[in-house]
Amino acid sequence: MVKLATEVLVIGGGATGAGVAWDASLRGLDVILVDRLDLAEGTSGRFHGLLHSGGRYVVKDAPAARECIAENRILRRVAADCIEDTGGMFVTTPWDDPEYADRFAAACRQTDVDCEEIPVAVALREEPRLNPGISRAFRVPDANMDIWKTVWAMAHGAEQRGARILPYHQVTAIRREGDTVTGALVNDVRGGEELEIEARVTVNATGAWAGQIATMAGIEGVRVFPGRGIMIAMNHRLVNTVINRCQLPTDGDILVPIRTVSVIGTTDQHTEDPDDHTVARSEVDQMLDDGEKLVPGFRQARALRVWTGVRPLFEDAKASDTDTRDVTRAHALLDHRERDSVGGFVTITGGKVTTFRLMAQETVDAVCDMLGSAAACNTATQPLPGSEDGANYRLGERLARKEERLREEQIICECELVSRERLTGVLEQSGSTDLDDIRRRLRLGMGPCQGGFCIYRAVGIMHGAGGLDAPAAGASLSAFLEERWKGVWPILYGDQLRQVRLDEWIFHGVLDVDHLPGGPLAAPAEGGPLAAGSEGGPLAAPAEGDPLAAGPEGDPLAAGQTPSAGFEADS
Amino acid sequence: MRRRRYDVVVIGAGTAGLVAGVRLAELGAEVCVVAKGVGSTHLAPGTIDVLGYAPQRVDSPSAALAALAAERPDHPYALIGVDTVSAAADWFIATAARGALPGYNYVGSLDRNLLLPTAVGALKPSALVPETFAAGDSRLLGRVAVVGTPRLRDFHPSLCAENLRAAGIDASAISIEIETDRADTSTLGLAHRFDDPAWRAAFSARLAPLIKGADHVALPAMLGLADPHGVLGELESRLGRRVFEIPTLPPSVPGMRLFEILRQALLAAGGRLALGAGVVSHARDGERIVSVEAATAGSPTRYEAGAFVLASGGFHSGAITLDSHWAAHEQVLGLELRGVPGVDEERFVPGYFDEQPLARAGVAVDSELRATGTPNVFVAGASLPGSASWREGSGEGIALASGYRAAGRVAAELGERVAA
Repeated sequence: MVKLATEVLVIGGGATGAGVAWDASLRGLDVILVDRLDLAEGTSGRFHGLLHSGGRYVVKDAPAARECIAENRILRRVAADCIEDTGGMFVTTPWDDPEYADRFAAACRQTDVDCEEIPVAVALREEPRLNPGISRAFRVPDANMDIWKTVWAMAHGAEQRGARILPYHQVTAIRREGDTVTGALVNDVRGGEELEIEARVTVNATGAWAGQIATMAGIEGVRVFPGRGIMIAMNHRLVNTVINRCQLPTDGDILVPIRTVSVIGTTDQHTEDPDDHTVARSEVDQMLDDGEKLVPGFRQARALRVWTGVRPLFEDAKASDTDTRDVTRAHALLDHRERDSVGGFVTITGGKVTTFRLMAQETVDAVCDMLGSAAACNTATQPLPGSEDGANYRLGERLARKEERLREEQIICECELVSRERLTGVLEQSGSTDLDDIRRRLRLGMGPCQGGFCIYRAVGIMHGAGGLDAPAAGASLSAFLEERWKGVWPILYGDQLRQVRLDEWIFHGVLDVDHLPGGPLAAPAEGGPLAAGSEGGPLAAPAEGDPLAAGPEGDPLAAGQTPSAGFEADS
Repeated sequence: MRRRRYDVVVIGAGTAGLVAGVRLAELGAEVCVVAKGVGSTHLAPGTIDVLGYAPQRVDSPSAALAALAAERPDHPYALIGVDTVSAAADWFIATAARGALPGYNYVGSLDRNLLLPTAVGALKPSALVPETFAAGDSRLLGRVAVVGTPRLRDFHPSLCAENLRAAGIDASAISIEIETDRADTSTLGLAHRFDDPAWRAAFSARLAPLIKGADHVALPAMLGLADPHGVLGELESRLGRRVFEIPTLPPSVPGMRLFEILRQALLAAGGRLALGAGVVSHARDGERIVSVEAATAGSPTRYEAGAFVLASGGFHSGAITLDSHWAAHEQVLGLELRGVPGVDEERFVPGYFDEQPLARAGVAVDSELRATGTPNVFVAGASLPGSASWREGSGEGIALASGYRAAGRVAAELGERVAA
């Protein structure tokens, strides 16, 4: 068993956990972060991408609104590259209580949420697809945030300061000596090793899973209600501004433009299991109907993908157990010295992505208190790696960068403009050959074709680079197809069904991936699928190096000597 | 509005529509194929896969078809009949042999599938294949060098070769550097280069020293569009080895050759082809369709005909759609569908590799491929219900045989009416 020691062990690699690692390492603490899966693969990677202005909470939960607008202003500075400043609107649709708009405007003033009423005509000119039946419109500083970029920037920044970030490391036990938590036993899911991590303070930043980790530490009563919500990505920027319905928060009342898509959300279903990703047909229908109210014709647009996320809602004694939206959205920091007389252990849960930095700050304040450190928090002023110039992300950045080198760079994924260099760079940097890991880093396979063209290319390039052998490549391909299908089949209609059929054409009609050796439908192998398989070894490899690097004199294939007659490739 | 009158109008220019058009023209009908654009040919690998899996790998389609027809009486092959499938295959081989690309013949038969390497290195069963594929039949393969270039993102020889080795084939991967004017190259771009004698001579000269131990050379399917037979022969002679093509991601070069063969055969037989002519509406007289209107350049065109062949494809082409309430519609002529799961049933299931309940949906037909409720419309190709073509490896075979069969039925009816 490998033994590691650190000052702070962070369990959970979502926005909060990564935020804790970043904050703590900025304060000079030694940090190890573990997550059972990839970073931001839980709740953080499964939200709609909205950086709240706070407008959503002004009437119902003024403290939450104040927190949101304060964090919104901070994150725009320190995580500039992860945020696209779309702006937002609250609009009163024919289905909303017209009285609410005035209460909303007044509550914005009281909570310091910037809000300006604009004429409906202006709102419709800016967002022509918006329901022309809206009666009021307010401009607020909503934005979208790329959470993967944010989390990796924090993890990367923490690593630069010595932190060890260990995705795919699952906690199997919490170490306890008497009344003190002293770290955890961890299973390296990919490497198969057991690790013992000794830590002076252990931070439970596992969100909806916080109760499970607390129980492992022998602490009872940390109850987190997983509130499951579905989100659907539509394959267009149906709007370019975040659109909220001006009403008390309910289902399907937010439409967030992010990257090349727009995301409608969300529902709210209590579930017992935070790993429950059921998508009910009725919820999909509800989202589409709600989308139709915001943007008429919504059902004719192309739905790309549906997913679910679970909100970590810390139990409130007053909460009814059927509607989790009434359980507090505020975050909860539990110092288990006070609560349970257990030292060296804090739990941070609840809250929302917009306030993750504040949650991390409060958590690391508590950690410093335990360690007797007086270091102050810097995360409100220290930009994340990549955000130093303070420039926000702009839609079109990727395209602009690609256009500069269009003839030099091979594009592997046209939908998301991923180049071959980016892919091989990430392979080297992350060491992962899991297509789903790659997808989260590069957005490979996340566009309209959902991997139809790029996945064969990516697997082929990874194989050629020696990153994975053929059985692993085949398994990776199958796993990717199955994983994508989960998010596609519940919303499969219209043009996306047409796309899936084209993808089937490629994967089955052209490549026949089902019948690869070891593939899902391959015949049981008895000396290979050939009736009489030959045994011989591989061919004599070609002469070392790249014998074509220097072509013969006058070789018309050499650069600058392509024959003038005939066609240009791709002309 | 322009008006045109034909004996028969075929809707759709994929394999099924073109085959129906050629066959009808050969049988003496005035026929026009109208289509929104080119069809399945440009996506598919250019082979005619008649029956590859049932569900185990099929060695002999002719033997397996009878069993399939018996087991699934509503399968297109059951309606068409095994003898007609066989006749269609013979007809197709003969049509290709006297077609637009001299020497570029289709080989194979329904008696035994060839097992051809795919771009990922699986072995796919195909009945009729272009001669440029034939040397890839894995049962005959010796030591094969799988050749690709980093310039071509759509073909990865190392992965292909390793999977072939896992299947018992002595394969190795060769990567060859070529210079192009930009980093992204497709098989289509390279096919245009292979049409140039100087370029392919230089390519062969570069490749020859790298393949010493091999007796077969596999290349991505890109050996020219103008004269693939000549290119193949030249490469084999320059390299001194058997050469074959492996199809890869669309656009499909061998598929475009197939389109060209069928297009030229249609014109040679006196038929017409109108591309860029998507059908937008139709007119009925009682049960019969009397005309369709197509959105052609400048102004619409009305195509009147005594009979129609609907070969507009399935969900992939947009001719059949599923709306956001999960109701299915035939978009071209508003025909009745079959095989669509009921309102309360699932259209899809969570396992990607499981058969999807919607997979066998298509336009409802009788045993003569006549659309239910519309006696002068015959249905062919992926519009037909009853097959799960990608699981079966049967799509192009159904397209060929049903196009052939529908043409025969229509011609017989026209003859009867003329006789009457």
